[in-house]
Amino acid sequence: MSNQQQSGGKIKVGFKQAAAMLFPYAKSRIVEQIKSVALIIIYLILFQTVVLGIAIAQASLIAVGLALVIGGLAFFMEGLLLGLMPLGEVIGLKLPQKSKLPVILGFAFILGAGATFAEPAISVLKAAGSSVKPWDAPLLFLMLNKFSGYLVMSVGAGVGIAVMFGMIRFMYNISLKPFIYILVSFLIVFTLWSFFSENMRNITGLAWDCGAVTTGPVTVPLVLALGIGICRVVGSSGSGSSGFGVVTLASLFPIISVLILGSVLSSSVPPPMAEKEFFSAANRDKAEKLFDSREGMLGYAFQNAKEESQLALFDGDRGKMLEYVSGLKYDVDQAAAVFGAGAEAMQKWAALKGTAEQQSAVFADKSATLAAVQKFSSVMEEPLRPSELMLRNIKAAAQAIIPLSIFFLLVLTLLLREKLPRADEVFLGLGFAVIGMMLFNIGIEIGLSRLGNQVGGKVPSAFKAVELHEQRSAINGFDPGIVKTAISPAGELESFFYVKGKTGYSQLPFKEEQHNPETKQYNFTPTRGPLFGAEGALSGIIVALIFAFALGYGATLAEPALNALGITVEELTVGAFKKSLLMQAVALGVGVGIALGVAKIVWNIPLIWMLGPPYILLLIITKISTEEFVNIGWDSAGVTTGPITVPLVLAMGLGIGGQVGVVEGFGILSMASVCPILSVLMVGLMVTKKRKAALQDNAATERAEVAA
Amino acid sequence: MSDGKRMARVSAATHRGMAEQIFIKLRECGITGGHLAAGRSIMLEDKKGFLGVGARSAIVEDPIEIISIIAPTEMESAVLDAVVSAGRIDIPGRGSVHSEEIVLLKAHELCVEQPRGCVSGQQGGAQYIEELMGICCIVQRGQGDAVARVALDTGTCVPAITFGLGTGVRDKLGLLRIAIPADKEVVALAASVHDADAVMELMIDIGRLDEPGKGFIHLFPIRKGVVNTKITRGMPKHAASIEQIISALDQIKGGTQWRSRSGMAADGVSSRRKYLSGLSGLSLICDEGRADDLVKAAMSAGAAGATISRLKHVRPQDSPLAQISPARELCDMIVGEQQIPAILAALENAGAFDDKSHGLLFSKPVPKACTFLG
Repeated sequence: MSNQQQSGGKIKVGFKQAAAMLFPYAKSRIVEQIKSVALIIIYLILFQTVVLGIAIAQASLIAVGLALVIGGLAFFMEGLLLGLMPLGEVIGLKLPQKSKLPVILGFAFILGAGATFAEPAISVLKAAGSSVKPWDAPLLFLMLNKFSGYLVMSVGAGVGIAVMFGMIRFMYNISLKPFIYILVSFLIVFTLWSFFSENMRNITGLAWDCGAVTTGPVTVPLVLALGIGICRVVGSSGSGSSGFGVVTLASLFPIISVLILGSVLSSSVPPPMAEKEFFSAANRDKAEKLFDSREGMLGYAFQNAKEESQLALFDGDRGKMLEYVSGLKYDVDQAAAVFGAGAEAMQKWAALKGTAEQQSAVFADKSATLAAVQKFSSVMEEPLRPSELMLRNIKAAAQAIIPLSIFFLLVLTLLLREKLPRADEVFLGLGFAVIGMMLFNIGIEIGLSRLGNQVGGKVPSAFKAVELHEQRSAINGFDPGIVKTAISPAGELESFFYVKGKTGYSQLPFKEEQHNPETKQYNFTPTRGPLFGAEGALSGIIVALIFAFALGYGATLAEPALNALGITVEELTVGAFKKSLLMQAVALGVGVGIALGVAKIVWNIPLIWMLGPPYILLLIITKISTEEFVNIGWDSAGVTTGPITVPLVLAMGLGIGGQVGVVEGFGILSMASVCPILSVLMVGLMVTKKRKAALQDNAATERAEVAA
Repeated sequence: MSDGKRMARVSAATHRGMAEQIFIKLRECGITGGHLAAGRSIMLEDKKGFLGVGARSAIVEDPIEIISIIAPTEMESAVLDAVVSAGRIDIPGRGSVHSEEIVLLKAHELCVEQPRGCVSGQQGGAQYIEELMGICCIVQRGQGDAVARVALDTGTCVPAITFGLGTGVRDKLGLLRIAIPADKEVVALAASVHDADAVMELMIDIGRLDEPGKGFIHLFPIRKGVVNTKITRGMPKHAASIEQIISALDQIKGGTQWRSRSGMAADGVSSRRKYLSGLSGLSLICDEGRADDLVKAAMSAGAAGATISRLKHVRPQDSPLAQISPARELCDMIVGEQQIPAILAALENAGAFDDKSHGLLFSKPVPKACTFLG
C-alpha cells in the first residue's frame, strides 16, 4: 500500500488494490463452500450416471443451480458471521444487564415464535405429506391442509416456549439434562399413547418431524449467538462452551405442541376408513370438515378418488354426477371452487383424469376431447420463469431475515438503548445473508433438488423396478398388431413389443392401460432395476440403505446451520474441539439415521419402534456424558435437517414410500435427528475418557509422590 | 487509582473445570476478582499408525482455562501458592503458572483490589523456577499449532494458545476491512532464560514471522513460575517419567541452566535478523464492547494496533466487583516506552476509566521483539 492517503484516520484504497484484497477473500470463501458441497454433488452425479446409467436431464440448468448454491452459501455464511451472529450476541450481552426477567422471557417468546413464522417449514411438511389421503389419515390430512395455519402456530408456540426455557436455563445456570429427561420421557409416553388411537398414530411422524425441521439456518445461528452472549454475562465461573441447548429445546417442545394440537383436533375428525365409505352419505358431513368447503371436497374427490368413491358423493347416482359436472361448465365460480382457479383447470382435469363419461360431459364432442387430451398430456413440465423465480426467492429470503433483524435492532436501540457496534459490518452482513439465502434457494430449486429428485426417487431401483418418469414418452400411431406374446417358465403369458431406439431395437412390456386406441398413442415410461438381486431382494435393499447413508452423510456436511454450530464450538473451545470432528460425527449420525429411516419405510416399521429404543439409549448416554457434550450433541440434532438435507431426503423418502406404497414419508427426518445425537455423545464419551486417562496418569504420579 | 504502581500479575493455565476451585482458594486469600479466558493446550501423542505405516507423533489438543490475577507485589507468593495448591500444578501435566511484574498505570477504582487476606504463602511446598522468560507470539488463525509445536519439539514446555482479534491498519480500510482476516492465535509459553532466545529464533523460522503479515513475537520477563513439562501424552515406559526426572534435577541444580542448549537455533540467521528492543507491552482490560473505541483512541495517540481477546471477569455476586460486567475484553498493544503517557491520556479522554468501561491499564517491559520491519 504505497499510495495510502491519510484522511480522517481512513486509508483510501484504489480500485486495483481493493480488487487485490477482495479476490483472495472471495476465493477462500467460495473454495470453502465448494469443499462442503462437493461430496454430495459428486455422489449424486456418480449415482445417476454410473450406477443408474442415466444421463442427467437438464444438466446445464442443474449446473447453474449448483453454482448458485455454492455462491449463495458463501454469501450466507459470511452474512451469518458478519451480521446475524454479532447482532444476536450483542443482544445476549446487553439484555440480561439491562432488563428484568419478564422482559427477557417476552423477548425470547417473540424470537422463537417469530423465527418459526419467518422460516416456515410447513412447505417441507406439506411435501412430505403430499400423498396423504384424507380417508387413510383424516387427522393428518386436516393438519396439513385446512388447519396448516394452526399447525404452524402450534409449532411457533412450541419454539417460543422452548426459547423461554432456554433463557431461564442460562440465567439460573440450570443443566440441560433434567429438561431432556422430562421432555423425552414425556414424549415417549405420549407417542406410545398416540399409538393406540388410529388418528393420532398417523400424526406422530409429523410431530417428530416438526421438531426436526423447525430450526432453520437463520434461527439456529441467531439463537446460538444470543445464548453465548447471555452466558458471557451471567453464568458461573466456567469458561466452558455454555450458550448451547436452546436448539435442543426448540426441537423437543414443538413435538409436544403438535401432539397436543392433534389430540385436541382428533375428536372432530372421522376415523380412517375405506375410500368409498369415506364419501358415503353416512360420513359425508364429518368428511366435509376436513375441507374448506363442500366444493373443495368434491374437487378433491374428482382429482384424487376412484370413480366409485366419486359416485358415493352423489349417492351412487351416475346421472346426478354427470349432470353436476356438465352444470359446472356454465357456472364459472362454482367450477373454480371445485377445480381451482384458471380457465382451463376443469378441462385439464377432464382430459387427464376424467372418465369417458365425464369427458363427454365437459367437452362438446369427441374431437374436442381428443384435442384436449393431446394438449394437456403433452405439457410435461412447467416452463422456468426466471423473473418469477427471482421474485419469489427474494421475498422468501427477505422474509426469513429482515423482520427478525429489525426486531433485534429495535430491541437493541429502543429497549436497551445501546448502539450497535460495528454497525456498518453488521448491515453489510445482513445484506450478504439475504443475497446468499436468495441465491442459495434459487440454486436449490433449480439445481440441487432437481438433481435430488432425479436421483432420490430412483434409489429404490436398487431393489425393485422403478419407472423413470422424466424419460416418459409417447409413441404416435401405435398399432396393436405389433404386440407379441412371450411365455415365462411358469407358463404365464406376457405381452411385449419391439421399439426402435437410437442405438438399436429393444423390447417393451405392453400394458393395455397405456394404450389409447382413440388417439393411437402409446405412452410408456421406461423402467430401471432391480439393479441388485431379484425384485425386493435383501441385497438390493441393503444397497439402497448404503445409498441412503451416503446421501445423508454428504448432504449434512453442506448444511449451513451445522457449519455455524461447528464454527461456534471451535471458537468457544479455542480450537480444542475441531469443527471437522463435530461435523464428521454429525454427518455419520445423519447417514445412519437416514438409512434407518429408509428401512422404516421399506419394511413399514412403526415409528415408535424406530424412535423409542434410540431415545431410551440416549437418556442413558446423556446421564453419563458431560454437560458440555450433552449440550453440543443434542443441539446438533436440531441443526442437521436444513435446506440441503431436507429436499434430498424427502425426495428419496417419498420416492421409496411411493414405490412400496406407504401412507406418508414422515419419520425419516426425525431419525436423522436422533442418530447424530448418539454419535456426537459417543465421540464426547471417547474424548472425555482420553482426557480423564491423561489426568489420572498425572494423579498416579501424585500418589507416588505422596507415598514417597 | 495510583500512577505507575508496581503490582504482580499471576497467570495460570489449567485443565478446563479447575478454575472454580482455584478461585475459591484465592478468595480465602482475600483475592476476590480475577479474569478467565478459554484456551487450548497442545501435547504430543505417539500414533502407532497401521502396521507401522503412518507412525508419527501427532498433536493432541485439550481445552484449558487461563486464569489471571493482579495483586500487590507482596502477595505474589501467596497467590502463586494458592493457585498451585488448589490446582495441584506442581504435578507435571496439570498446568503451569507464572508471575510477572507489571506497572499499573491507571484503573477504575473498582478494579483495584484491596486485599485483606494472608500475605505469606501458607504451604510453601512448591518449587518455583526463577530463571524464566515468557514468549508470546501472535499469528494468523490456523498457524498457532505450527509455531507452538516448537515448544514441544524443543522440550521447553506445554504452550497455551488463545484466540484474539487483530486491529490496526485493517480498521482504517472502512468496510473493505472484512476482506482481511482479523482472527489471530496467541501462543504463550515460558522458557528458561538461557533458552528463550533460541526458542524464539526457532519460532520465527517456523512461523516466518519476519515476513510481512505473518505475525509478531516478543519476550516478556517472568519473575517465577511452575512450567508444565509433560509434553507427551501416554503411559510412561520407565520407573519415572522424563518430566519427573527433569523437574527433580531442576530442584537439585536449583535452576534450569544445566539444561540450556546453545546449538538449538539455526546458525547464522540470528546475526542477520533485526530485533526491536526497548518496547513496552501495554494491556487494557475493559468492558465488552468498548475495546473497539478505546483501541481507536490509543491508535490515534500512536499505538500501531492491538490484539483484542475476550475475558470473563470472575467475582462473587455479593462483592462490589459485581457492578462490573463479567464480559470483559483484553487489548494487548506493543508500544514504545515514550508513547505511554500520550496513549494513557488518549484513553482517559476516551472514557477508558469511567463507569461505562471500568478500564484497567498496565504495562510490562518487552526486552526483545520481532516482526516484519519493512
